[in-house]
Amino acid sequence: MTPAGGAVPTRDGALPRSLLFAAAAVSALAVVAVFAFLLWFSLPVFRGDALASLLSWRWQPLRGQFGILPMLLGSFCLASSALLLAFPLALGVCCFAHGAGPVRAARPLLAAVRFMTSVPTVVYGLVSVFLLVPLIRDAFYGSGFSWLAAALTLSVLVLPTIVLLVDAQFRQVQAEIGPSAAALGFSPVQQLLRLTLPLSRRGLAAALALGFGRAVGDTLIPLMLAGNAARVPHSLLDPLRTLTSHIALVVATDSQDLAYASLFASGLILFVVTAFVHLLLRRWRGQAA
Amino acid sequence: MNSCAIRIEDLSVAFGGRTVIDNLNLEIGQGGPTFLLGRSGSGKTTLLRAINRLNECFPGCVTRGQVSLQLGGDWVDAYAPGTVVETLRRQAGMVFQSPNVLPLSVARNVILPLRTVLNLPADECEARMEQALRDVHLWNEVGDRLAAPAASLSGGQQQRLCLARALALRPEVLLLDEPTASLDFKAARQIEELLVELKTRYTLVVVSHSLSQAHRLAEQVFVLRDGGRVERLEEEVFRDKEALLAVMDELV
Repeated sequence: MTPAGGAVPTRDGALPRSLLFAAAAVSALAVVAVFAFLLWFSLPVFRGDALASLLSWRWQPLRGQFGILPMLLGSFCLASSALLLAFPLALGVCCFAHGAGPVRAARPLLAAVRFMTSVPTVVYGLVSVFLLVPLIRDAFYGSGFSWLAAALTLSVLVLPTIVLLVDAQFRQVQAEIGPSAAALGFSPVQQLLRLTLPLSRRGLAAALALGFGRAVGDTLIPLMLAGNAARVPHSLLDPLRTLTSHIALVVATDSQDLAYASLFASGLILFVVTAFVHLLLRRWRGQAA
Repeated sequence: MNSCAIRIEDLSVAFGGRTVIDNLNLEIGQGGPTFLLGRSGSGKTTLLRAINRLNECFPGCVTRGQVSLQLGGDWVDAYAPGTVVETLRRQAGMVFQSPNVLPLSVARNVILPLRTVLNLPADECEARMEQALRDVHLWNEVGDRLAAPAASLSGGQQQRLCLARALALRPEVLLLDEPTASLDFKAARQIEELLVELKTRYTLVVVSHSLSQAHRLAEQVFVLRDGGRVERLEEEVFRDKEALLAVMDELV
């Protein structure tokens, strides 16, 4: 069998090919190694009573209770709520930039969104601690460090990721159908609503999935703003703790055997969730192709 | 020549500061087909797209001058502030060089523009679709697979579908940008036969690289020269193959 494209390998091409193969192999091995590392170190909690303790709703390490379900639920609640805010907003920004708004406004708007990607996460967190948290505290009750504060800030953080993905998708579709649709008499808004949006379904789903992955994986925002109480939140104004901030907090403060091992289980869950999202994306893309 | 259908006066088009058409004047008669010949890069497609203002879809385009079309018995200034560009483009339909079907089914390719642009009821859309597909002799070939993806049709069928899609909107002018360039001999012949049929109902403006096509089909021929200058060929020239070749050698 000849290589892709039917090209015959030459001596000139052999070295780059080997280097690229080595780079790809190292990358793949690193991912496998991370998975194996997490699995190996979390093995103690998958045995006997420890597993029951891990899959419980109480995190009280001093009493031997290492339940991470509140953190799992916290991650899901925070990521979902942030996405619930960010996704429609991102879609609105992209629709505005691709036909619903004035052409002149599109470029500065997208430039501003791109700039948002370069702002360090800690800056968003810090600004929220001093502006958003007091606002929530004054408007409602409690300390202000809450699911709501973290969700609002996290939505701002994941917004550019989603906007850039949806924007790229819209550009691809509009490059394909733009001149044809215009020649048929579609207005920019009709083109957007009747062609670009429906034809971008898979891209929108991919942006949603990647946005969810980004929101689930963020550590700093929930750590700085969510209050970090290791219990199930009953309202948006309650504090919550995510798996990521849980790992960061416990690594810094705890070194008991099983508590420590539960962190690897938390890491493993995050790894599996992220891998699942990416496999789902691959499946969608495969079907699209 | 039939009475004038499109009048172009002092037209200049530039992209990103590079002039493609410079101060061009032209009168295109009703019916046709009117062929626009010339070398690659001489501005033929830009001229065609200036008629339905499609150049505006491409970045950095600056158009000056006047393009007037006779639509519905009235003269319409394409670039007047009050002209609705979407209406203009619907009335001056366009078929591109490569078949540019929408990534939808065969039926949706024709029906969606009717529903969206003309807001027609479903039954009228169906009727117009069938009529348009019959007009381009495609109904017998695809009538039983209207739900199939348009991309699954052959190149020639796709190009006829694009033509049907434009015809279903009932334009008065049809702009065809090298409509047979990407087709094989047989598919190209089918399109040519369609042009002969359609010339009695529409004003046809065709960009082409094929001298033999112009020789066989044209009622009016213009040759675009570099720099946007245009020469009108007399009928005795483009009806005589040798004379046409000689003139083209001299002009381009």
